[in-house]
Amino acid sequence: MSTDGREELRRRVRVDEAPPADAAVVIRGGPDTLSLLSAHARRLHRAFVLDGEPVFGVSVFVALDDLGPASERGILSGKLRTYPSIYRCTAGELSDRGLTLLPTFVRPHYTIVLPNLGAVDALATALGRLLPNPYAEA
Amino acid sequence: MTRVDIAADLNSEDETGFVWTFLDEAEDPSVIRPGEVVVAGSPLTPAVCEVIDLVDKPVGTIVHLRVLPGTIEQYRRLLARVGV
Repeated sequence: MSTDGREELRRRVRVDEAPPADAAVVIRGGPDTLSLLSAHARRLHRAFVLDGEPVFGVSVFVALDDLGPASERGILSGKLRTYPSIYRCTAGELSDRGLTLLPTFVRPHYTIVLPNLGAVDALATALGRLLPNPYAEA
Repeated sequence: MTRVDIAADLNSEDETGFVWTFLDEAEDPSVIRPGEVVVAGSPLTPAVCEVIDLVDKPVGTIVHLRVLPGTIEQYRRLLARVGV
């Protein structure tokens, strides 16, 4: 824990997990705005530090399996079932923009670590356009 | 646009596997009690959630939320159907 009470995020990183391939599908329920992404990044910043340093980040899910709750279909019909719209990109598209995927908390949750709060622009670009969630609740 | 009881990122889970946010992001924090059903998220992405617990931490009180099945519109139709 940091001196100001923020928890060390590194303690919540799944250390025994290989980094996702560049082609791995990254999903986030939307829609987002730059203002919302900033608010979410600031919430993480308020609660956590990373390696003792301030951190901004935004949550996503990564399709890690072909079947089951950590598959793309499983995420869309499970954790994101209340989202009629989603963003979908690849791990490679995030890293191309200098954004780091960190496997945090419970699989298949990840945190996209932003180098600074201004990087929400790059994040929004990487996430791409809003797509319908074919498995959303009606 | 829907007014939410508490702002949250419903993508954002912690080690409990539940969605988390801060109690002081609630419109009326007195509503946010374990077992209560609330609307959480953002005006663009609202969802009906159950408050699981409140955890006091040095940085603030963390609220854990379970996203419940069904859309707000489905709950609205339910209430209309049963005459509430």
